[in-house]
Amino acid sequence: MPALLEATHISQNFALSGGKSIAIFQDISLTVQEHEIVALVGPSGCGKSTLLRILIGLQRPSAGEVKYRGKPMTSVNPAAALVFQNFALFPWLTVEQNIALSLESRALADGERSRRVREAIDHVGLGGFEEAYPKELSGGMKQRVGIARALVVQPEILCLDEPFSALDVLTAETLRNEVIDLYTGKSSPVNSILMVTHSVEEAAFMASRIVVLGSPPAEIRAILENPLSYPRDEYHPEFLKLSRKLHALLSQALIGEDEPEKAATTDQSLVACAVPNVTLSAVMGLLEILENEKGTIDLVELGEKVDKPFTETLLVVSAAELLGWVTTSGQQVQLTAEGRKVLAADVQTRKQLLNAQLRRFRIFDLILRMLNQSESHEVDEEVVVSQLAITYPHEAPRQLFRTVVNWGRYAGLFRYSSTRKTLYSRDRIELLPR
Amino acid sequence: MIGPRLSPPPGRIFGLVDLCVLLALAAGIYGIVTVARQWSGVLQPVAEIHLQSRFLPVYMLYSVTRGIIAYGISFLFTMIYGYAAARIKGADRIMLPILDILQSIPVLGFLPGFVVGLVHLFPHRNLGLEMSSVLMIFTGQVWNMVFAFYASLKSVPEDLAAVAQLSNLSWWQRFFRLDLSFAANSLVWNSMMSMAGGWFFLTVSEAFVLGKHDFRLPGVGSYMSVAIEQGNLRAQWQGILAMMAIIVSLDQLVWRPLVAWSKKFSAEEIEQHEGSDSWLLNVIQRSQLLRGLRWIGDQLRHVRKHASGTGPRSPDRIWNGEVVRWIKRITIALFGAAVIYGLLKYVHLLRDIGATEWKAIFVSALLTFGRVMAAVALASIWTVPAGVAIGRNPRWARALQPIIQILASFPAPMVFPFAVGMMLLLGIGLGVGSIVLLLLGTQWYILFNVIAGVARIPPELWEVARLNRLSWRQRWQKLILPGIFPSLLIGWMTAAGGAWNASIVAEYIRFKGQMLATTGLGAFISQATDEGKFHLLAAAVTVMALAVVSFNRLVWRPLSVLAQSRFQFSP
Repeated sequence: MPALLEATHISQNFALSGGKSIAIFQDISLTVQEHEIVALVGPSGCGKSTLLRILIGLQRPSAGEVKYRGKPMTSVNPAAALVFQNFALFPWLTVEQNIALSLESRALADGERSRRVREAIDHVGLGGFEEAYPKELSGGMKQRVGIARALVVQPEILCLDEPFSALDVLTAETLRNEVIDLYTGKSSPVNSILMVTHSVEEAAFMASRIVVLGSPPAEIRAILENPLSYPRDEYHPEFLKLSRKLHALLSQALIGEDEPEKAATTDQSLVACAVPNVTLSAVMGLLEILENEKGTIDLVELGEKVDKPFTETLLVVSAAELLGWVTTSGQQVQLTAEGRKVLAADVQTRKQLLNAQLRRFRIFDLILRMLNQSESHEVDEEVVVSQLAITYPHEAPRQLFRTVVNWGRYAGLFRYSSTRKTLYSRDRIELLPR
Repeated sequence: MIGPRLSPPPGRIFGLVDLCVLLALAAGIYGIVTVARQWSGVLQPVAEIHLQSRFLPVYMLYSVTRGIIAYGISFLFTMIYGYAAARIKGADRIMLPILDILQSIPVLGFLPGFVVGLVHLFPHRNLGLEMSSVLMIFTGQVWNMVFAFYASLKSVPEDLAAVAQLSNLSWWQRFFRLDLSFAANSLVWNSMMSMAGGWFFLTVSEAFVLGKHDFRLPGVGSYMSVAIEQGNLRAQWQGILAMMAIIVSLDQLVWRPLVAWSKKFSAEEIEQHEGSDSWLLNVIQRSQLLRGLRWIGDQLRHVRKHASGTGPRSPDRIWNGEVVRWIKRITIALFGAAVIYGLLKYVHLLRDIGATEWKAIFVSALLTFGRVMAAVALASIWTVPAGVAIGRNPRWARALQPIIQILASFPAPMVFPFAVGMMLLLGIGLGVGSIVLLLLGTQWYILFNVIAGVARIPPELWEVARLNRLSWRQRWQKLILPGIFPSLLIGWMTAAGGAWNASIVAEYIRFKGQMLATTGLGAFISQATDEGKFHLLAAAVTVMALAVVSFNRLVWRPLSVLAQSRFQFSP
């Protein structure tokens, strides 16, 4: 029997100005079987949401094919419904009208129509709010409307795009359980759920199969089965094991396993890779936490401490590692001597230390050389961005540029004017000998 | 909407409100009959205007009807043009510049085309003349509505569009539920502005001279122009009062309720326009009669839904077929041919213009340009401080906003005679005096926007200014001027655009039986129309359009970019 959804060799490119394009993800094949919850997990910006939109036919892939029950799809999949991260409710329609919108184009008897709306409202516990407008509702209630609007079409495949990340922790917890109840409930029309999330716990708690995506250009890093029965116990040993494994897989996808040449402070060669998209204050915050924890911390524990998506935490750790301030081995993060020195220093000394560190990065070396080559010690933003696009073909060049400017400004390596859109420095900059 | 929710009106059968509704209905029917009689009557190029006050109600009826029909055409045009520009791929590259140029052409530039065409189409009935008057009003209304609708369509949130697509809404359903609803708020506000823009040239649109022919249609505008020509002060005051009555009642009976109703389409979480409450909307919502009508409407819709029961259709499939591609090509070819033909005719028309005439046009353009700039600068001198003072005080703002709105809607040319009379007494000529006249019409736009801009400055910044004991001067330099800059800029752009157009009535005035004129592009255009010199009219209108468009491109646009990148308060 053909799978409910089957995607084969999907690729998606994003066009840049100047006729170039970068790959967001390449050659992704995955299936959604009947009666399962599939979660796509990956770092933010890896194109999970785009992949989801391709899978339900809202967007066409640059290459590859999506089949629904063995038939190739050409437009929106009628068996799918989508719940959005930011709810996507029509502000001028009441709760009831928002939910009924999905049925408007269907030829249904009026009795049937209102019965289904009624049912969907009861399913998510929105009774009494029928006449309310979205602006009168809290975030949790808004998302309940979003879920009801998806349920009312009795979808075979319910798609959730980071459905709980705009909600506070408690509300998210409640809604997660409600969605599980919907899925396991006998009366529910929902056959399978396909969800996108950046939260490891959410995936482990909800999904029966977890697809781990790497950083851009994304590819499938691993697919984990999660046979635990619902409702799941977050302290069950199997749950913890799975969650650890997921953390490890994601860390691997993001920081990579033991690459000592990246962090070695004594090495004279330049650090080749680009800089992760995090702020230096976040990196400093990490060092402070490590100091409180006597110098080492488990990655998972760290993730819980900072209450940020795990993937973002990983980026901060990888930045600190690149700077030589921490080392990682397996799941352990450890503060280095260099890191302690930075912590002990005052603001000015920190800047100097950072300044020295950044000169060891190829990316900053490149920019400093460009500045030195110019008579006036000025380089246009566009020139730098296109250079970055060539040197780091797998990174989004504008985002990389913003990060580089943030770091470089902080370290006093160079200055940047947003009105003139140029990088500049007062005078020639001493470079590391090559 | 799920089935009919309203039960048939229970309880009280008939109330005072319902009586009013019925009376209004009867009056409406009488009005329609009267207007129809005038429109289908035998062509009367110069209607006799009676200055006695008892004739005014009928004149008001005629003028309002013209304004409303013109608005209807504007709305249709907005829907079609705005939708095409926003949704046909690549269309906005051609359609927006065209709109930009059309917007900069003063009403007299359209006049000969409309009159010659339509009067010849209906040589024996008033219909043609009436239609050309309506179309002239239309040219004063339509442009900002199109721009607003286009901008709304372009900013429909992606997620909502995805919902519409997933719900498989048909083209119409998507248009009403999403596109039109999303645009509703800005459409209503711009419609209000448009109506005011249409009234501005009412005196011109209802009474004009074209070469040897004099045209006059019965209405408040022509009443005013006759009163001004004869120097009849009492009649002038009556005309002004009549115009006021039209504006205030449209505001109370149409715009207030619409604004209050359109609040529900606001995508913003916080209510923005305070005090946009409408007594009329409340009354209507309470009216048993209208509730009953609504109930009947719901029933009808219900029936229709059952009768049709069509399945969903994807607009993509209809629009991207081979047939459509051909239709597109043929349309473009036809359009291209028409443009080339028009251009040839146009060049032919301009060939007769000599060097001295071109020189006169350019000198006039420079003078008018100076006046426009001077009017904007002078208006800013008082409106910026006043606007800041009003905007800082919510109670004043609430009380004054409706009054300013009405003052802004009032067509300034109707009070020109008073200003001119005063200036003549003071010995000021029209050369300088026309600056004051331009100012009368356009200052309100700046005031408006300054008030709105002040409200947009976050209160925390005022607190910072107070905590740091910023001096009066520092406060203006560091906080107020940069803070209101984006809004002030919009005010300036609207005011300057309006001033260019208004120059045709400010530089060339019939006053107590004599002609007052000064050198300027507006006067040039008016005179060319009066004397029926169409080649000069075409040339002068072209120069004005070029001047406006290039000033927009070279000055206003870079400033807007600056305002958006540096002076916007992030949400």
